[in-house]
Amino acid sequence: MANLLWLQGGACSGNTMSFLNAEEPSACDLVTDFGINVLWHPSLGLELGENLQKMLLALTSGQMPLDIFVFEGTVVNAPNGTGEWNRFAGRPMRDWVTDLCKVANFVVAVGDCATWGGIPATAPNPTESEGLQFLKRDHGGYLGKDFKSKAGLPVINIPGCPAHPDWITQIVVAVATGRGGELSLDEFQRPKTFFTSFTQTGCTRNMHFAYKVSATEFGQRKGCLFYDLGCRGPMTHSPCNRILWNRQSSKTRAGMPCMGCTEPEFPFFDLAPGTVFKTQTVMGVPKDMPTGVDKTGYIKLTAAAKAASPRWAEEDIFVV
Amino acid sequence: MTTTESNQEVLEEIRSLLQGGLETEAFPRADTHDAVMAVISRLRVAGDDLKAKLVIGGFTPHPVEHGGIEQPCETCMYYLVHRRFCELPELSVPVEPEWSCRLWRI
Repeated sequence: MANLLWLQGGACSGNTMSFLNAEEPSACDLVTDFGINVLWHPSLGLELGENLQKMLLALTSGQMPLDIFVFEGTVVNAPNGTGEWNRFAGRPMRDWVTDLCKVANFVVAVGDCATWGGIPATAPNPTESEGLQFLKRDHGGYLGKDFKSKAGLPVINIPGCPAHPDWITQIVVAVATGRGGELSLDEFQRPKTFFTSFTQTGCTRNMHFAYKVSATEFGQRKGCLFYDLGCRGPMTHSPCNRILWNRQSSKTRAGMPCMGCTEPEFPFFDLAPGTVFKTQTVMGVPKDMPTGVDKTGYIKLTAAAKAASPRWAEEDIFVV
Repeated sequence: MTTTESNQEVLEEIRSLLQGGLETEAFPRADTHDAVMAVISRLRVAGDDLKAKLVIGGFTPHPVEHGGIEQPCETCMYYLVHRRFCELPELSVPVEPEWSCRLWRI
């Protein structure tokens, strides 16, 4: 049995909702098939008040082993670095985080808030929020850049707003079944198995990206969402179009631009008016290019691809 | 009248206006997001007034080079190659590939 504890800091509970919707494996499968003992979870835990406090103290003292510590939400430091704005079981949540991270074999940050601060840490960041080991792109965060859990790994980051249900449960299973050491993490400590390809990989609108045909209004079945509607699919690392949401679809397949929520800068441009759902340009050229493409190459490719585009690419077709 | 015939009629009207020397606001180009939104706001007010659209959009019957980049309709993201049409909702007019406007984007 692997003991798992899930706590929540500055969060909207979106990742909890996501976790409870997992299918492969499901939250129940974690218990019945993979021998994971969910000690406590904000939506599932039975203990309240002193009983919960006793359990947490048993964990921090080493009396009870903690194999996996999952944290959702930001570490709230306000006001003035005390963390008093987010109290839990008799003390600031951040103090529990400090003590639990010292005893956990593996620490898993779920969702953007826990990984790099997400929306709460957006300027002016009134809650003085930060992620467990990052604040946006800056390595460090609450635990510091040198932190390693008892198993010798840094915080395993599963970003997203929310993270996909199955990314969460599959990583938890990997860790619980003793394959945590095999996890390969990228520079932002995201498991490479999920975060090496782009959101664009598998997008049903790729043919419109190739022929440079743009969607110019929401609801259009034709057209790529990158050129005008602010889609960040070509420069966001996620498997959203490989591991589909609800096993059915994805944002881009449904006509909703990718907002880049698995990247540390999310929400981009600090949510300044006019920056959401609108591709930002400088002299008519996108400010953020598809990863690995330079401006000159982009302009040449676009001119050639547009000239070669077939008639059907300009017509509404089903892309779901 | 079919859509194609109607587009052709509008195209001829635009060509006639541009070649007749209609003064349009081709400069300054809408280089920043704010500048783009300012032009688009004015276009929304102009509604279906074709002449106003051409003036505010800064249409020219030839490509404009700006910042070392040639900006013809044919490479713009709003241009539909086969329909020869500008699909920017606030413009939504037939255009020729060699024309240009200050809302060009690639």
